[in-house]
Amino acid sequence: MSSMQRAKQWATFARIWHIYDAKWQNPFDSSKTIAKYLKGQHKPIYHPLSDCGDHVVVINCRDIALPGPEWYQRVFFHHTGYPKGGATWTLAWELHEKNPTKIMERAVHRAVGGTLLRKGLMARLHLFPDEHVSEDLLRHVTSQIPQLRVQPRRLDSYSEEEVRDFPKVFDYPADHVIR
Amino acid sequence: MAQHKTLCTARPALVKQIVCAEEGNVTVIQGRVMPSPRENRVVQTGGGTCACPLCQLHLDIKHTDVLILSQFLRSDGCLLPRRVSGVCRLQQRRVQQLVAMAQKAGLMPNLAPSSSKRDPRRRFGYKKFNKYYDESTIRDVQPFSSAMSAR
Repeated sequence: MSSMQRAKQWATFARIWHIYDAKWQNPFDSSKTIAKYLKGQHKPIYHPLSDCGDHVVVINCRDIALPGPEWYQRVFFHHTGYPKGGATWTLAWELHEKNPTKIMERAVHRAVGGTLLRKGLMARLHLFPDEHVSEDLLRHVTSQIPQLRVQPRRLDSYSEEEVRDFPKVFDYPADHVIR
Repeated sequence: MAQHKTLCTARPALVKQIVCAEEGNVTVIQGRVMPSPRENRVVQTGGGTCACPLCQLHLDIKHTDVLILSQFLRSDGCLLPRRVSGVCRLQQRRVQQLVAMAQKAGLMPNLAPSSSKRDPRRRFGYKKFNKYYDESTIRDVQPFSSAMSAR
């Protein structure tokens, strides 16, 4: 094998580390994309048994966004295994307060499927509540998974000139009192 | 119902601002007359069946378009009435719901009453977390004229 072919072999079969920013993203929609990268389905050499999956580092898990009322409508079930009161139903916002990475973890756990490969795939998922990731993990990261939703901008993030110069839809009527 | 617009060709309309100042024992309440801050920034809209500026502009406004939605708000976050903004009943309902979505999502924290917590992260419970809304859930309300004629 020539050195060029050897480099191509390594590039094809190397395990890549991707990073995904979960700020303002729906965890359940993002988990479908993340699961795809964890399994290796984005590669032309994919086979479920060939261990071709990649690592994914997810940052800003604390800043995920859920649609409207889902924070108090979505419920996570847990059973301790013990009888009589072992079942608990926790609302999404309560779980997120206690552990900000748990919702993302549960979402990917479901998206990855119920196969025997799931434990290995979840071991290659690295979740962080904010942007602080240790250098040991960050030095492997070479790729970024693009965000699915556009991050909205807050009104106070615009400068006063930008707000003032933006085209206005209507002008105030005469003798209007600005409050 | 036709919207009565003041057609004024003489000079642009002046707006007023009430300023309250306390100097020692004396409280001075001053009504300042000044030109509108939006004087040269208003978009020229073409004609159409509806006199309302939003219908003429034909924009798909999302709840994240805070630069447009903030034009319909007072400094304390309250909506301006239709007689001030000049929009039709349909669009006022739509803007009302979009503004509610944007406020719940915490995208306009500076347009809030003085007693409110400006930072969305200081809210209680589920309200402190990020939310996004689907604009297609806004059901268009039938305007008065077609509702009356249906009877």
